[in-house]
Amino acid sequence: MSLKDKYAIVGVGLTKFGKIPGTSTMSFALQAIKLAIEDAGLTRDDVDGVLVMSPVMMGEQHGWAGRVAALLEVSTTFTATMELGGATPIGMIQTAAMAIDAGLCNVVVCAFGNQNSPVGIPFIMPNLEFTMPYGDIGAIPFQAHIARRHMHEYGLTSRQLGEIAVTFRRHACLNPEAQTYRKGPITMEDHQNSPMIADPLRLLDCCLNTDGGGAVVVTSAERAKGLRHKPIYIMGMGQSHSAEIMPPWPEKTDHRGGVKAAEIAFRMAGITQKDIDVAQFYDGFTILVITELENFGFCGKGEGGSFIEGDRLGLNSELPSNTAGGLLSEGHLMGMGHVVEAVRQLRGQCEGRQVKDAELCFVNGYGGAPHEYPPTLSYATLILRR
Amino acid sequence: MSIEKPLPVPTEDSSPYWEACKKHELRMQRCKACGHFRFPPSVVCPRCTSLEADWEKLSGRGEVYTFIIVHKTYHPAFDSDIPYNVAIVRLEEGPMLHTNVVECRNDDLYIGMPVEVIFQDMNDKISLPKFRPFPV
Repeated sequence: MSLKDKYAIVGVGLTKFGKIPGTSTMSFALQAIKLAIEDAGLTRDDVDGVLVMSPVMMGEQHGWAGRVAALLEVSTTFTATMELGGATPIGMIQTAAMAIDAGLCNVVVCAFGNQNSPVGIPFIMPNLEFTMPYGDIGAIPFQAHIARRHMHEYGLTSRQLGEIAVTFRRHACLNPEAQTYRKGPITMEDHQNSPMIADPLRLLDCCLNTDGGGAVVVTSAERAKGLRHKPIYIMGMGQSHSAEIMPPWPEKTDHRGGVKAAEIAFRMAGITQKDIDVAQFYDGFTILVITELENFGFCGKGEGGSFIEGDRLGLNSELPSNTAGGLLSEGHLMGMGHVVEAVRQLRGQCEGRQVKDAELCFVNGYGGAPHEYPPTLSYATLILRR
Repeated sequence: MSIEKPLPVPTEDSSPYWEACKKHELRMQRCKACGHFRFPPSVVCPRCTSLEADWEKLSGRGEVYTFIIVHKTYHPAFDSDIPYNVAIVRLEEGPMLHTNVVECRNDDLYIGMPVEVIFQDMNDKISLPKFRPFPV
């Protein structure tokens, strides 16, 4: 039985975010949960499910979600500590809907927190034996390899990537919470003059570094009635997982992680890409927006570069995207920021960056271990409606 | 004082790969059941799930599938190498692996460039497979 329209997001919250030393990963998660529960018009006593992203740097920390629940004195009948990288927030929301559907719980908070420089937790360098000895370290080289290949096969240009960065920064300048709000807009020349990090990717092709937290509350459509805000229904959802770049990826298009994640969600929702009013693409890097547009069927394979030209992702365009600024310019909220922005757009709360009459929003998360071998990535998608 | 570059720490799964590299041989697991070359090393064939494999010597030839030029490092040991290349090479036998292309200027690198393996002895335990343009 499809879960279409049976579950809804009824509360959202983002903590202060940016470079915020002195606040722990746990503190960000707890603060975000408080905000999301209050936004829903519920109390802690209404919550019986807690899902939390496994902290990026956690050391030996079993049962993290259970600890979060305990620190809020929430009596839970379902908890899970989840880890799908940047696909975790959406993965948690999907799991919440499934857990409620299974009768295990009724009102679930999904939360993450992240402190990039945690006190008392040593950073342990993993043994990346097939990449690190060559100086291929972190997520940026992985995306740069993909960008180079895309440029070779389809003629993608750095200026096309730049257009994405410029557009999302413009959106961030309409979002007072965004990390780059005070920095102001950027131009194509700023992008082209920004330093190369891993050629062909420049500094302005890469996302921000962010300390912060976010949470959402998921419950049934029935329970959602009469709460503070109108429910934002989960119309479709999907996941898929792959090991990109490595064989068989070069030969098998359908092996790409994102293809099935979107197919499944659109099939469940019973709509097409053309019906989407506003989108939030996981944009750790500009090139990722290109491959996601292609893999999710918003354009054909190899057409991403030309698709985004002419301000195609701008607020007044056909497919307004990353309306809060995204990971590139709002902040790296692990994809939870994307979900929160989707909900706010569909509620009509976005003021200067509000997409008029937005009814349907596509959101995706993306993450995993691009620097492991083989690089393994997860995609998770949601189609939300008001 | 120079900072030492991170070297591979061979695992239970990868030791035979690195032992072969030490002898300046590029060897990968080849599935006894279906013939698929397995990389990274694994106990089970990703194509047919067979547990049987031989460590077969490869030709060491392939071509550049994609490459990047690194300008900002995330490990100080590589600072003095900037700008340096990292390529993903597709071997004749099918597997792909990360490497550096040596004996080649960064500007001369291109996708499809034919390359062959050479080995750099890092210490008495580890030799890193790298690639150079072929024919030289």
